[in-house]
Amino acid sequence: MEPDLDGIVIIAGAYGSGKTEVAINLAVNRKRAGYDVKVADLDLVNPYFRTREAAALFNRWGIELIVPAQEWLQADLPILSPAVSGLIRQAGQLTILDAGGDDAGATVLAALADAFVGKTVRMLQVVNPYRPTTDTIDKCLQIKAEIEAASGIAINGLVSNANLMDETTADDLYSGYDFVSELSRLTNLPIEFVTAAQELLPELNLNRFLTPVLPIVRQLTPPWRKAGVIKCKN
Amino acid sequence: MGKVLMKGNEAIAEAAIRAGCLNYFAYPITPQSEVAEYLAKRMPEVDGVFLQGESEVAVGYMIFGASACGARVMTTSSSPGVSLMGEAISYITAAQCPAVFVNIMRGGPGLGGILPSQADYFQATKGGGHGDYRLLVMAPASVQEAVEMMMEAFPLAEKYRNPVMLVGDGLIGQMMEPVEFPDNLSIPATNKDAWATNGMDTRKSDKRNLVKTLYLNPEELNAHNLLLKAKYERMKQEAVKYEPYNLDSAYQVLIVSYGTMSRVCKTAIDMLKDEGIEVGMVRPQTLFPFPEQAIFEAAACESCKVALSVEMSMGQMIEDVERCIKGRLPVKWHGKCGGDVPTPEEVIDAVKRLIAEY
Repeated sequence: MEPDLDGIVIIAGAYGSGKTEVAINLAVNRKRAGYDVKVADLDLVNPYFRTREAAALFNRWGIELIVPAQEWLQADLPILSPAVSGLIRQAGQLTILDAGGDDAGATVLAALADAFVGKTVRMLQVVNPYRPTTDTIDKCLQIKAEIEAASGIAINGLVSNANLMDETTADDLYSGYDFVSELSRLTNLPIEFVTAAQELLPELNLNRFLTPVLPIVRQLTPPWRKAGVIKCKN
Repeated sequence: MGKVLMKGNEAIAEAAIRAGCLNYFAYPITPQSEVAEYLAKRMPEVDGVFLQGESEVAVGYMIFGASACGARVMTTSSSPGVSLMGEAISYITAAQCPAVFVNIMRGGPGLGGILPSQADYFQATKGGGHGDYRLLVMAPASVQEAVEMMMEAFPLAEKYRNPVMLVGDGLIGQMMEPVEFPDNLSIPATNKDAWATNGMDTRKSDKRNLVKTLYLNPEELNAHNLLLKAKYERMKQEAVKYEPYNLDSAYQVLIVSYGTMSRVCKTAIDMLKDEGIEVGMVRPQTLFPFPEQAIFEAAACESCKVALSVEMSMGQMIEDVERCIKGRLPVKWHGKCGGDVPTPEEVIDAVKRLIAEY
């Protein structure tokens, strides 16, 4: 079962929770399912490892990507392309907005409030309990409240993105999922999907999850490691 | 605490606290700012102090002041910020006060760019500030190693009464890796009485401690510099660290590379091995003291025809590699210094060109 999302989806969450890797993989996954997918890189706080690094991948897949103008791509400046509000007004079948981390990263969403008027927006909180900033339910609730206050948008879904990168085991994934399930129970928010590294999938008992699973093929890799190849289904 | 997933900058910050550093003064700059963000939240939880200076010049002297009082203290910055601290670093070494400086390097010169670089090699190992002085310079290649080096940095700074600098290219600060923290290691300095101007508080002797860097008498200044020189010689004997890689093979090329660049080289060496080409590497973990003997000996390997310094700078470390090899082998350079990290394929191409040539 794969995540079935459409409309405008904002990927938010704590700094370093894995939003961008989730956004990239979700975009390609839905594109492969036949959706018209558009992505905007709204990360104004992170200097490295941003959605813009997947530009070539998106280009190959025919996914529209909105980023700052080429000459400012590596600038240390909070540049918000005017094309983003146009993208929201004329959203694709699935439009993914990859926000920056924490409340600081979500602040940009408030600047787009006018564009969101009359639109149905889903804002998902990506949670990785192996990050020290979100290793307790209380910390996750606090970040949720801060993101909502900064963006003026309510979070209405969760993503279980429990991982220790290459060192993730099946057990790490299960206990991370249990943690996010508890957060789901307390907040009454659904877990939209759980992520799992593609190479871990054969080891997993997928019946352990009551939610769809998004396979992750790591794209944001350091220079000594190649990005995973996302193959066409057909 | 089991393994957690952390950015290098966050891990460096947490490691400092676990090493007993409760005084942190800094000024934000990309790609290092997460250290300040992390410690702004974390220091109050451990009754520590984070104070943002009005500039890196001020921060340098805040470090000097705290260290002179016997506090365990550090700052973090990135290239242009470290330049501004140069004067204070020279004063701190002259006064023989311990402190830890972290430089998460970005592209230069000038404002340069915000992407990874190793272009502050000269600044870290040969000066940056004025006068005859050296820093003990450590260069981690992973987030885990950054943690371990931070834990060692404070006791080393106190042992030698000299600043220790940890240098990482921007990737070391920005990348996330699983990391495990050792238990707290806040061993108090045993030689505090020798320098700390902390009143008679913890003082066992009634000797007056004076922190000063002015020596108007030429004989006195020369004697002071000889004392410092002896200390740097002691570091060379005691503190050098390096990692050998594939040196037990009949390697044709010897690579010297450090930090994240060395991880690209490892990938390249593994890929070349699959093709039947052997390449060895010495990875300096300390840039000063430099692994002189290890490189000299590695260059003596009979099968080795040429050495290659792979660095994200325009040929800075190569001068030290040449110095160590003492003309035994030709020494070549490969690198990039704009923010893009050379890929394993580029390193492989450079190695193959050298094999064809020598």
